[in-house]
Amino acid sequence: MTDIKLPDAMAELRPALGEIVGLGLQRAPYFSALLSSRHGLTILVDDREERVTERPPAVGTVLSAFDGATNFERAMGGFNREEIQKASRDFLSGLTFQKYLVQAEPERRGDFVTPMQIDPLELSTQEKLDRCRELHRRAKGNDSRIVNVRVIYGERNEHSVFADANADLAQRVQRVNMFLVVIVAGADGDVRYDFASKSGSAGWEVLNWSDEEIQRLVDSALGLLSAERIEPGEYRIITTPGVSGTICHESFGHGVETDMFLKERARAAHFIDKVVGSSLVNIVDDPSQPGSYGSYFFDDEGHMAASTQIVENGVFRRGITDRYSAAALEIPRSANGRQQDYSRKTYARMSNTFFSAGTSTLEEMIAQVEHGIYLDKWSSGMEDPQGWGIQVTCHYGHEIKGGKITERVFAPIGITGYVPDVLQSITSVSNELQMDGGNCGKGHKEVVPVASGGPHLLMTARLG
Amino acid sequence: MRHFVNQIVEALKKRSDLAGWTVRHVETRGAQVYAVPQGIESQRAVDGERYLIDVLRNTSTAEGSPAVGSGDASLLPGDDIEHAIDKATLVAGLVVNPVYGLTNPTPLPDILLCDADLQKDASNVMLHVMARMRAAAAKHSDVRLTAAECFGDVHNTHLVNSRGIDAEQEATRIDIEFVLHGQKGERESETFDAMTRRRVADLDIEAAIEERAQNTLDLLDVKAPASWQGPVVLRNDALTIFLAGDNLNGSVIQSLASAESKYAGVSSWEVGKDVFRGEVKGDSLTVWANRCLPFGTASARFDNEGLSAQRVELIHENELAAFAASQRYADYLQIPATGAFGNIELPSGKTPASELLSEPYVEIVQFSWFNPDTITGDFATEIRLGYLVQNGIRKPFKGGQLVGNYMDALANVRWSKETGFFGSYLGPHTVRFNELKIAGQDE
Repeated sequence: MTDIKLPDAMAELRPALGEIVGLGLQRAPYFSALLSSRHGLTILVDDREERVTERPPAVGTVLSAFDGATNFERAMGGFNREEIQKASRDFLSGLTFQKYLVQAEPERRGDFVTPMQIDPLELSTQEKLDRCRELHRRAKGNDSRIVNVRVIYGERNEHSVFADANADLAQRVQRVNMFLVVIVAGADGDVRYDFASKSGSAGWEVLNWSDEEIQRLVDSALGLLSAERIEPGEYRIITTPGVSGTICHESFGHGVETDMFLKERARAAHFIDKVVGSSLVNIVDDPSQPGSYGSYFFDDEGHMAASTQIVENGVFRRGITDRYSAAALEIPRSANGRQQDYSRKTYARMSNTFFSAGTSTLEEMIAQVEHGIYLDKWSSGMEDPQGWGIQVTCHYGHEIKGGKITERVFAPIGITGYVPDVLQSITSVSNELQMDGGNCGKGHKEVVPVASGGPHLLMTARLG
Repeated sequence: MRHFVNQIVEALKKRSDLAGWTVRHVETRGAQVYAVPQGIESQRAVDGERYLIDVLRNTSTAEGSPAVGSGDASLLPGDDIEHAIDKATLVAGLVVNPVYGLTNPTPLPDILLCDADLQKDASNVMLHVMARMRAAAAKHSDVRLTAAECFGDVHNTHLVNSRGIDAEQEATRIDIEFVLHGQKGERESETFDAMTRRRVADLDIEAAIEERAQNTLDLLDVKAPASWQGPVVLRNDALTIFLAGDNLNGSVIQSLASAESKYAGVSSWEVGKDVFRGEVKGDSLTVWANRCLPFGTASARFDNEGLSAQRVELIHENELAAFAASQRYADYLQIPATGAFGNIELPSGKTPASELLSEPYVEIVQFSWFNPDTITGDFATEIRLGYLVQNGIRKPFKGGQLVGNYMDALANVRWSKETGFFGSYLGPHTVRFNELKIAGQDE
């Protein structure tokens, strides 16, 4: 068994979960216990200051009693055995259960740890701070237009233990990310900036920056001082993997979370096994993808991580589920039941969601565009599962003219459109796959770590 | 658990290696109710408690100049206090920053922050709020409530610092959201709304559902708009989002008027200078950051540093009057410390709201997500529901993007004489931007 090194209080409570679950099952058709510890660290180094702060910890226990109709939960801070046993008895004594249609999951047992070469928990804070300082030193150039360079390191240390009648699972998921931000000011006082990030479910080995990457970022930040606003209209566009991933995330990511089917909020519910995009479009959600920022081994409802093919050759196949919506809709589960932390409910949420790679090269794709826009970098997106509208904001993009990317830069650029129209317009998909880590809210709350990505895509969209 | 706070304080007082410290005990208890069309999906009772320690330690720069470092640690009840203090102290010793101090005690105002019923029984209050939402929606036979969430929490905070602050406050918070669904043949539509308030009395659920029900029906027969350049009106919740931002994206004013942004070089604003880069063609702008607003969702007697609530005039008739500054950045910029930003407040305007609705104009009722770049102020944001109002007809549309720059937009506005309270915003309930651009779908 993997040496998982759970936090002491969690490790001490784990052996008692069998008894707590057993008592719960005497009353409830289904009963589970989740121990969840999420904490982390943020380091900021810039030209003027340094900060080392704990990520606000969320440490607690969730007891769930489910009868196929309503999910009753008691969530409490910490892992105190006596308090949890008492809370469990009090909680169960006040409940009345209605239906008894809870589908049992197969037996699941095991301990899992994110594979990594340089474990952040094995590095001292001094070593991490020094690495951030070193990157800051390398990125801080001599150009007088640079007013600040900021390095932001984040680590999320997640430990969880899950138990139900057929499960005894534990995992340690380690996520790291690092942002490099270059802030510049023009002669007129206008402030612009560009940023780049690296991330993964991994250790520090994924946070190395080459001199070329740093210089590219400085150059692009300075280039933004001459950025123009784009003339609104329909354009041929090529999206970088980050922008492709955001389109994927906002369209057939949020749009296929099956709790939204249940709430009649997802138009995709009417399109199962129907064409929703070009035959080049394949979309996958995969929490088991090694190294990606949104990965985990089992979800917050104890379902084992596995890949889900959402769109296959342009045809919508299935959504991603939490336990409640899968039971209510009578569809197979996928491992997408996730909580922001113990204090929040579980919803159907994405993990690593991406367009699969195609066969074209980027050079071939650019050569096909007589006049269009290369969308370099995304900054945000918002879903509209019922209306199938899309909003993706790009930090900037470059003009493509005569099959070549020019120096002319536009910022910011908004992409809007009707999801099937946008996906149907994809005519070329490049042969690489890159993932971007980030945080995802459901609407405006319930933030969880995810990744999205894909290859370069050539398509038509409305920009503004 | 005052006893545990006292133990932490006593342990900190014994440390001679610290230049200062702050301890916060934060206790939360609440109830959550979630509904789907079939009934109640989930009911949750939630509580949590933690102790947060911040320490300040004298350090020095590589050249030997005085500096300070800060470190933090959190504890659950019963955790090892010495271990947590050691951890925070160790981190503080690694960090090298210009010298700043902690907050001194000042009188704390009494601010109304609580819903008495919620304090007594959060679960019952939330079930009642959910029932009101369902009853209000049931009055509209042509729309259905397909999802709703109600959260009610009670937060208790006790803060002690090494300068002598020993303060407590209790606050309640209610978050609700709902989705209304409409259908006409094969056409479907929905509207989503979310509200945050301190007390149930400030939630006009029935009026919100009434308005969103009409929006839902209007959305059944909409197209993307044609391009538009001209007057754009925001009212009530849409205006609040524009001015106060949301919990994912702060507001542009909050960002550019913060001492932290000034210190970092990302705000070019200067006290006594105009905040606009061009000519101001409309009403002048005056803005307060107000943490004293009764039942304001960002109100608080004291902030995380212990700074007492204030109402700070940030912008006075287009000129920056002050930065909103935590103790640290106040010390760095040698300006008064004002504490956490709080709610945003604007004075009433000069024009009756009815005059701001002179045709033609576009009203944006909901954005997909209004998320301007909080440094540059540029925005390109999709419109979830808008109305083109001309020739006496109010024609709904969905799609298109509002594009522009935040401060440039505010340089050409008229504010309504009538005001309203919207949780995190107090001020005119209607604004007319005299000239904004919508990138539409032209034939």
